[in-house]
This record gives sequence, C-alpha cells and structure tokens, in this order.
Amino acid sequence: MTTTDTALGDLRVLDLAGEIGQYCTKLLADLGADVIKIEPPGGDPVRALPPFLQNDSDASLYWLNLNTSKRSITLSLEHAGGRKLLERLVATADIVVESFAPGYLDSLGLGYDALAKIKPDILLTSITGFGQTGPHAGYKSPDIVGVAMGGVMWLAGEPMDPPNVPPWRQGYISASIIGASAALIALFHRDRTGEGQHIDVSMQEALSLDQETAMQTWDMIQVLRCRNGSRGIIPFDIPGIGVYECSDGHVYGYLGTPGGAPWTEMLQWMVDEGLAEDLTEEPYKEFIGDLNLRFLTGIVQDPSTIGSKIQIMGHMAEVVRRFTASKSKWDMYQGGQARRLLWGIVSTPKDLAENPQLKFRNWLTPVEHPELGKTLQYPGTPYRMSETPWAIHARPPLVGEHNSAVFADELGVGADEWTRLQAEGVV
Amino acid sequence: MTQALEGVKVADFSWFGAGPICANHLATYGATVVRVESETHIDALRTVAPFAKDKTGYNVSGYFNNFNAGKLDLTINMNTPEGQGVARKLIEWADVFLTNITPRVIERWGLTYDNLSQWNPQIIAAYQPMQGYDGPHRDFLGFGAVLTPITGYSYISGFPNRPPIGLGTNYPDYVINPGHTLVAIMAALHHRHRTGKGQRIECAQLESSVAPLAPAIFDYTANGIVQERPGNHIANAAPHNAFKCAPLTDGGRPIDERWLAIACFTDDEWNALVEAMGNPDWASDPKFATHDARKTNEDELDAGINAWIADKDAYALMADLQSRGVPAGVVQSARELLDVDEHIKDRGYYVYLDHAETGRAAYDGPPAKLSKTPGALRSPGPLLGEHTERVCKEILGLTDEEIADLMVAGALT
Repeated sequence: MTTTDTALGDLRVLDLAGEIGQYCTKLLADLGADVIKIEPPGGDPVRALPPFLQNDSDASLYWLNLNTSKRSITLSLEHAGGRKLLERLVATADIVVESFAPGYLDSLGLGYDALAKIKPDILLTSITGFGQTGPHAGYKSPDIVGVAMGGVMWLAGEPMDPPNVPPWRQGYISASIIGASAALIALFHRDRTGEGQHIDVSMQEALSLDQETAMQTWDMIQVLRCRNGSRGIIPFDIPGIGVYECSDGHVYGYLGTPGGAPWTEMLQWMVDEGLAEDLTEEPYKEFIGDLNLRFLTGIVQDPSTIGSKIQIMGHMAEVVRRFTASKSKWDMYQGGQARRLLWGIVSTPKDLAENPQLKFRNWLTPVEHPELGKTLQYPGTPYRMSETPWAIHARPPLVGEHNSAVFADELGVGADEWTRLQAEGVV
Repeated sequence: MTQALEGVKVADFSWFGAGPICANHLATYGATVVRVESETHIDALRTVAPFAKDKTGYNVSGYFNNFNAGKLDLTINMNTPEGQGVARKLIEWADVFLTNITPRVIERWGLTYDNLSQWNPQIIAAYQPMQGYDGPHRDFLGFGAVLTPITGYSYISGFPNRPPIGLGTNYPDYVINPGHTLVAIMAALHHRHRTGKGQRIECAQLESSVAPLAPAIFDYTANGIVQERPGNHIANAAPHNAFKCAPLTDGGRPIDERWLAIACFTDDEWNALVEAMGNPDWASDPKFATHDARKTNEDELDAGINAWIADKDAYALMADLQSRGVPAGVVQSARELLDVDEHIKDRGYYVYLDHAETGRAAYDGPPAKLSKTPGALRSPGPLLGEHTERVCKEILGLTDEEIADLMVAGALT
C-alpha cells in the first residue's frame, strides 16, 4: 500500500484527545492517517466506559468503535521525560488533536507556540466544551453541559418532562466532526502555503446549527421555539405527521410536506385496504385536498388560523392511528414508500443491524480480534470515496501496543533509556 | 486576508439542509460557491418560517438564509437543454460538485459522476442521497424529519415512558450529514493536491446518520442487546440530569422555565456538589456515598437535588458549581444564546449581516476558529437568482448576447 491509496495516508496525527475528540481522530484514522494515540500509563480512561463486550470490562465497545485504525503508545505528560518524548514525536507529526482544559498544554510548555517552534507547520486542533477563549473557557464541560448550553436540549422532549439529553454524546460527536473538518481545511491551507495554525473548536458552537430554526426564529420574530414532543416546528397534531404506533413498534409520518406524495395518496391507500372509514366524505375529503406545505406553513406562522379544522384533523389522526395499528412497522415503511408517502420506520438498533439497505451495501464492517478469538461487526462508514476508500485499517490497539515500534524503532530510544523511563513511570 | 479555501470553486446543486450547510462552510472558509437554484422548483426552505417580520416572498426565510450565506446564487432551469448546458459549464469550472437531490433526478439531468468526470476529470463530486445510489431502498423518500427516526435517533432518545419522539428537530441535517460530507470533501481535496486525481464521494444520509450511534448498533451486533430510551441518565455519572430552577421572570411574573444540567462523574465532583448544597442530611446517607450507590438510588438523588434547586437562579448556580469544579450548564434556549450568553458573545460566534429584504439578521458564524485563516461570512443569504448574470458573465465567460439567448430560452429561471 502506498500513501496515496488512502486520502490521508501521508499524514501523522498525534491523538491526545479525551472522549470529546476521539471521534475526530477516528475519522482521520479511517481515512488513512497514521494516528498515534497517546495514552497515559495504565491506559485511556475511556477504555473503561460501557457498553462492554459481553460484560468484559476490559473490552469497551464504546472505546473500540472510537479507536479503530489507530496505534497506541503510552506516555505521561506529567513527567519531563514524557514531554521530551512528545516533543520528538511532534517533530514527525502533521496534526495534533487535544482536548485538555485550555491553558494546560501551555502550562507544560507544549502549547501552540511551543509546538510551532518544534514543527512550524503543525496543525494543533483543540476541541473543548467552550473553546480556548472567553469567560466559560475553563468550565468543566462533559457532553451534557455542551448540549445544554448549546441550545439542543431546550428543543428535545415532552413539555412535562425535563429537557432531553440526546443519545450517545451528540455534543462530542458534533465537536469531533467540526474538529476533523476544520483540521482538514487548515491542512489544505498548509498544502498550498506551508503555514500551520491553531484550530479552536467549541462544542457549544459546534452544536449551534443543530437548533434548526430556533436561533433565527428568536432573532427575526422574537418567538421562542420550545420542546413539544415529536411535533418539532409544527404547533398542533396534524394527521400523518408525527409518531404512530404499529403492531410491533412505531413509524413516523411527515405527510403533506414537499418531496412526498400528497395526503390524497394516503387516503387512496386507506381506501384500497378498506380502512378509510368516513374520510372519503365531507368535510374530510375537501380538507385532505388542501393539506399541503402552504397550509402547514400558514399554521406555523399564525396558529390562530386553525379554527374549526382542529376537530377535522383530530378525527383524521384517529383513523390514521387505527390504520397504522393494523400493520407492522416494516409494512408501513416499505408499503408507504412504495406509494411515495413520507413514512419512516422508527428503527431500533436491531432494525438497523438488519436494515436491508445497509445489508445490501455491506455497511457493517467485520474486524478480527485475535486476542478475543472473535470477529466483531463494527458500525461502518459515514461516506464512500471512489479513489480512497474508507476502511478500518487495523483493529483498535491494545494499551501501548506500538511502544516499541514508535519509541525504539522510530525515535531510537535504547534499552537502557527505556528501562529508566519505565521506572520513572513515564511510559 | 487570505482564507484557507480561497480559489476553491464549488458548484452547489443542493437544497434543503444537509447539502447547503456543507457548501456554506466551504464558502465561510473562502471558497467561491455558486448555489444553483430554479424558480421552477424552489428550494422549499425558502418557503418555511421564520420569515423576517412583516415580510413575504422567497427571500426572507431565516431558515434558508442561514444555510446559504456567502454564496452566489444562479438560477437554472435544468429541464431545458440550454439550462443543462449552463450546468455543464459550471461543472467544468468547478473543483467540487455537491448535491443532495435524489438519485432519480440527478440521473435524469445527467449529473452522474461518469458524465461529470468526462467534462472535468479532476472534479470532486459529492453526492448525498438519502439511502445510497444502489440497494433496495435507493429511491425511498425522506428528509431530516423522517431520517431521525429511520436512523435510530428517535428510538433511543428521551424517556422510557414516552413514545420515540426524537430530538424536536430534523437532527442529522444540520451537523452530522453536512459535517461528514465536508470531511470527505476536504480529504479528497488533500488527495487531489497530492495526486491530481478527483473522485466520487457518496455520503448516504442513512449511513452518515447511523455512524454516530455506533455504541447502540455495536451493543446489538456484539451482544444482541437492544438499547432502549434511557432518559437523561448515563452509566458513568450520577447525578446526570436537568433540574428545574427558579423560573425566568419579568417584573416578578414567571414567564418561562429555567433548567440547569448537572453531572458528577467522580466522588470529588459529588462531594463538591454536596458542599454547594450546604451539606444536607439526606446527601450524607450511605446510599449516595459511592458512584455505584448513587446509580442505584439515582431517582431519589434526583428528587433531593430537585427539592433543593427549585428556588435557585440557574445562572448564579452554574457559576457557583463550576467554581467548585462541578460540571453544570444552563439549558439555554436560542433567546439565551443570542441575548444572555456573555461567553458566546465574547467569542463573536453569531454574526449579524444586513440583507436587502430581511434587514439585519443573525447568522451562525464559522463553526471553528482557525488562528490564521479564521473564515468569515462574506454576504448574507442570497436572493433567488441574485447573481445569475454575474455568474454567467464573470465565471462562465458568457457574452451578453449568449446570456440574452439563454433568458429567451427560459434556461435561467
């Protein structure tokens, strides 16, 4: 394999990141970069987070997924000897990704200016809750603090419940995706000018676009979007919009919106199955003809225009509920889509693992783990690239698995020095 | 100042959210982005609220404008042969082509990678189909609203006693899908810089959206466990929830809720929280003494904090808890982000731009701060077809006469 078989095969990335930044370095690693994960002696604490493979607390599925295609060395930055080794590695690196509290690396003499002295074109990517500057820069910011302060939780949930935390650390995910894209934008600048720089990612800012229209709605008309269950932007229960129960789960409808077939097609489906009840009669028939984006936009803008239509819509929703309850979620999804109706299955993780589309495209990716005597089915790629395919290039590393390859073979650390570093707790 | 992507040319044949936001970031960091639209099939976001106060028409949606700042806007009727000719010229000019229009339509218009790479062998062509260009669900419909449930977010979001309601937004449209596509485009640009080779990118929104839910998928493929809606609790912290504080008031009258998110991952954080609460008796009970004990008794723990916090000011308490090393953050709304949050103001994240029809409006600024090439929003969301003539002349090199002919043929609508 040459360095041009992958998109980033010519790059070395030093990964000092905690949980918030590990999806960023995974994105770079699966695109071919040589990502060297620098773990404290004893290992990255994220290795201890669930879910685990069959209750084996040494095999965190959460950690494994975030650390595909990476190599691992151990190094303590608390020791001068460790910092010296890091400096030697920086001289060989293109990108450093870190997520320490702002100022910590500076306090060790390893901030951007110091790294740029060692490697002038280095790209230091710092991913933290609130970024490197500003009054909250020093705040502790696990995922929940980011999604709270970033406006995302405010929009999620039922009004009678606390605002909902999105699943599986979406604050970290957004921060990591923005971090990876920004690092590569800076890389492109470096490709053309030779100039390195410091990239400052704030989880709070990375999440801002996830507020959909809430920011603009407050800015433009001083109306505040609030959490309202599954209805999102729409203030009422509209038949065919929202969560509907099936015989074995749920589907989600978005009828009457652009791209999909109009509500009349839904009515036809119900007629064809003998389940339309009285919806072919007035006042329903005429109302169904008018149920389109224009109508929906009208009531979003001015809910008072809804008037007596609310009873009509309530009855229609009941009839749709009886229809969906008579079908399985896959029949509603695939049958609805066959009629170009915007019905989507509410997928469980099992539904996703068995999804015919993902199966056809071989999305799950088998990775052999000789130490576990198993091949695990890893979640797959976010994108396909024709010339430089995404791949899991190596199973996630064991703690310090590449110490000898990196320290001895590359940096020329001799046996005596190694013994001393071990004794000092540096590696 | 030179921006990172100055000189990079982007033909943005996308609409709605996932595509336009990706191209928006490219424009913010300096690329020349030509957004292609048509009056004959308008980007529906132009017709979706919010609209500037007392304004109507296609140019006043804050939803659309926020995702299209910094772009030039060209209208082409792709259902005319002349319009397709203009599209081809634009693609010949471009370094990057981007679309999230459905595969059926892209094929009908002849905008496949096979064609594009013949016209422009070095092009990086990024497609964002809903499900992919092959497979049994290839032609399934959808956008963010339906994608959120299809890709698993809804099933594992929220409280177990509620239906799978999702996140209240078309969630994967805004960061996940545009962001993944941007990563792939930038990786491809780096590769092209080294090898001269373009390529085809396919960021199927199904795959891109499911990837961040890996821990749930993996738990099923490795363990056969179907994760359920967990509420606000997570395994490695307790407490980990949003707690209701004193309401926001106006002249003493409560006008809105205020919630504070608090999380303790370590005994130190918990002990600091207990001290902040004034060491109440209930908190010293052995059933809260260790992380495992707090997890076991978490509902009772939440109730204790709720009782204590109900009359507290959320912002003051956030500052106090953070000063003691306890992770805490106000559950902010857009109102707080724009008007109250001194931190985000200090960093200048939101940008206010003057727009010919909406007047001054707020926009999301650069998503990351690059120290030497910081990026900037060069112009507000474009009017429909605002730059059609300019793009035809200055970018495509057409003469006035050629442009007139195209207009007569109805190609530039």
